[in-house]
Amino acid sequence: MLSVLSYGRLVARAVIGGLSQTDSRDYSLVTASCGFGKDFRRGILKKGMCYGDDACFIARHRSADVLGGWRDYGVDPSQFSGTLMKTCERLVKEGRFVPSNPVGVLTTSYYELLQNKVPLLGSSTACIVVLDRQSHRLHTANLGDSGFLVVRGGEVVHRSDEQQHYFNTPFQLSIAPPGAEGAVLSDSPDAADSTSFDVQLGDIILTATDGLFDNMPDYMILQELKKLKNTNYESIQQTARSIAEQAHVLAYDPNYMSPFAQFACDNGLNVRGGKPDDITVLLSIVAEYTD
Amino acid sequence: MLTLLSMFYYICLRRRSRSGTRGEALTSRRAVESGQRAVLPVSVEVEQYAKEVLDFSSHYGSENSMSYTMWNLAGVPNVYPSSGDFTQTAVFRTYGTWWEQCASAPLPFRRTPKGFYSKDYIELGFEEPVYPTAVEVFETYYPGAIVQILACSHNPFTQNPPTDVRWEVLWSGEPTKVLTPQARQFSPKIKHIGFPTNLLRLEVNSSLLDYYTELDAVILRGVKERPMLALYKMPIIDISDLSDSEEELSDVGGPFRQGDGKHQRTGNGYFDKLPYELIQLILSHLTLPDLCRLAQSCKLLHQHCCDPLQYTQLSLQPYWARLSDASLGHLQSRCTLLQRLNLSWTGNRGVLTLTGFSSFMKACGLSLVCLEMSCCHFLNEACLEVISQTCPGLQELNLSSCDRLPPQAFTHISKLTRLRRLVLYRTKIEQTAILSILTFCIELRHLNLGSCVRIEDYDVVASMLATRCRSLCSLDLWRCRNLTDRGLTELVSGCRMLEELDLGWCPTLQSSTGCFQHLARSLPRLRKLFLTANRTVCDSDIEELAASCPCLRHLDILGTRSVSAASLKKLLQSCPQLVLLDVSFCSQIDMRIVQELSGLFPNVAIKKSFTQ
Repeated sequence: MLSVLSYGRLVARAVIGGLSQTDSRDYSLVTASCGFGKDFRRGILKKGMCYGDDACFIARHRSADVLGGWRDYGVDPSQFSGTLMKTCERLVKEGRFVPSNPVGVLTTSYYELLQNKVPLLGSSTACIVVLDRQSHRLHTANLGDSGFLVVRGGEVVHRSDEQQHYFNTPFQLSIAPPGAEGAVLSDSPDAADSTSFDVQLGDIILTATDGLFDNMPDYMILQELKKLKNTNYESIQQTARSIAEQAHVLAYDPNYMSPFAQFACDNGLNVRGGKPDDITVLLSIVAEYTD
Repeated sequence: MLTLLSMFYYICLRRRSRSGTRGEALTSRRAVESGQRAVLPVSVEVEQYAKEVLDFSSHYGSENSMSYTMWNLAGVPNVYPSSGDFTQTAVFRTYGTWWEQCASAPLPFRRTPKGFYSKDYIELGFEEPVYPTAVEVFETYYPGAIVQILACSHNPFTQNPPTDVRWEVLWSGEPTKVLTPQARQFSPKIKHIGFPTNLLRLEVNSSLLDYYTELDAVILRGVKERPMLALYKMPIIDISDLSDSEEELSDVGGPFRQGDGKHQRTGNGYFDKLPYELIQLILSHLTLPDLCRLAQSCKLLHQHCCDPLQYTQLSLQPYWARLSDASLGHLQSRCTLLQRLNLSWTGNRGVLTLTGFSSFMKACGLSLVCLEMSCCHFLNEACLEVISQTCPGLQELNLSSCDRLPPQAFTHISKLTRLRRLVLYRTKIEQTAILSILTFCIELRHLNLGSCVRIEDYDVVASMLATRCRSLCSLDLWRCRNLTDRGLTELVSGCRMLEELDLGWCPTLQSSTGCFQHLARSLPRLRKLFLTANRTVCDSDIEELAASCPCLRHLDILGTRSVSAASLKKLLQSCPQLVLLDVSFCSQIDMRIVQELSGLFPNVAIKKSFTQ
């Protein structure tokens, strides 16, 4: 059913921007994550952070903070996106990346997956968000239908675009079984959308898989984010949790006109209700860098 | 006369010794041990992980990758204490004796000293120079390969050029095999040395191991201040003894000329009665340093030891730490009949230069047939030009891991038209140079282009091989990223004598094109085939190999999902000479099947690696 098509989604991370213009301080992201697997596995933390078939990571390097998320579509669900995530994390920790080129992180990790002796199979969408501490620029790369929002002063100032080939078939990285290469959708990491923009202290960055955006329209998300008063980890965690919970509830509401249902109707499919799916939310605030 | 001789012999040997003779060292040690069991000053012990991998001889992974490559040895452990075949570890290219069993392997050199086991090495730089107190190596898979640990006096992170580079052996041992392939922390007892170091070198030998050894991290423990009980160390290998030979020659001649002149007797005792050839035979068993020292004992033995017939094969690899331009200079006169020369690992950090090297090659290149220059980073384009000019008869050239050689240097190799064996593993050779070499070196029997990442189109190379090098016997195309079925088909159609073919990690070869079956049918003499990590290898390929290649000895099909136990059984039945079969990470072949097959075919080493 939906699980066949709705493979990986990456969770975009929201980064909260600051206020000052010419700031020589280093910025960093204070990040919390929350999520729900669609099979009622409540936020099981396995191998880092995995929610259902979604996975995400937060990695720190001395020059940048990197967040990323994946959703796995694979035959062997845990291996592909989990390995991709771990590889990205390793790349970041060892500094083998350029902060202004998050697509490079994707490309290199994908290449490293092919260097594994283990014959990995599977596919995944991916989203990576990098905050360059010194330049205060946020660089993103998105392949697939995850998304991110950047909220400043209660308004959305940036958002990502969904990449889909056709309805409910997002762009995805994949390694196909031998012989099935023609039949399995496989996009190159270079196809990822990349953007860069400046952020300010206090900017909120919300990165989520399409389980969130398909079930919660922007105004609801913004409502929840208004409740975020502090920049400490606990408040961010709480807000992330409430957003994810709300989306989770709405997903199983059969009468609710979710954004997904709206979009389906626009495409000629007469459906109502939420979209039960894995939901992963990464919520970040741009704050000053402290060691 | 005899007393004069023995007295003189004694004087010569005493004068020959370096300052700090054995006697003096023993005295000082005794003094230290007896009186001064003094308390060591309280020194802060510094513990460091490797900061950077500076040099190494080979690795399993791809250049620009962090999977199974040597760069993983720097930093903190990624895997330890887990055991298994993980991507985040440092893995060398070979293990066991499989590669030595192949026809492409060079013959061993005579006079290799018994204590020299090293086959591969890796050099690590640490942040701070310390007087080492301990070295710990985290081995996470099939441990037991480390055979030597050395420390260098030079700081690799300074901008100054290296001067007076000294290497001291901290520990050496024999290759071992640990019973289980589990992870361990290897911490041998190391010697204390008289200088601070932040450059370590590990030398390994995996010939006893059942699979690739994998290393995770290295810790260097040491103190910043010089410890009190630093004993003077005798140099173990003293190839610099060679430098004395010229000076002392005249002295050696002296007393003998004083002889009464009535008879020509030289007074060498029974040595005078032995035929020349017999003394030559006796001397052929000495290692090179002993040969050089013996040359200074008396005139007769000097004549024997400097006889070029003793130097038809010369391996200087065990003495890489001490070889210099001066050493080559002194050996030069003896090497006029040199046929096989091993300079692998020598000359780095400025100890060998173009001048010394070209002078040596001019003296001995004429009869040279085999030249091993693996990991010789002093080589540049001019050196290769010298080789091409001075060694017209060269048949074997090994430039493995000479990754500092610029691409244009390789064009000189095409002048060596008698080449039969050429190893270019991990070099920067480019398309035009290799095509030029293949055009002129048509007698090539063994070619290694493993990990040559600068070659753009391997199909063209394969096509050229098929046209020009028809007597090709072994070909290593490990990690040749764009060889397709088209190139492979042309290759096997043209090079019918192929016995060994390594196509490991060539991702662009697809079994569905039938290229592997065509390969099997075209190469009935095939003895070694590596299809490592080719995910498309399937049952029909194995069955075709079983039907067409009865001489098969080594087969590697790591990482395929499509091969079943039934076709493997057919293969094992049809290929009675098979001794190595690697089915690691083949999803359909689990441990139970491996055990069953091993029971049925006990002569075959069936390898099944694991990650946990």
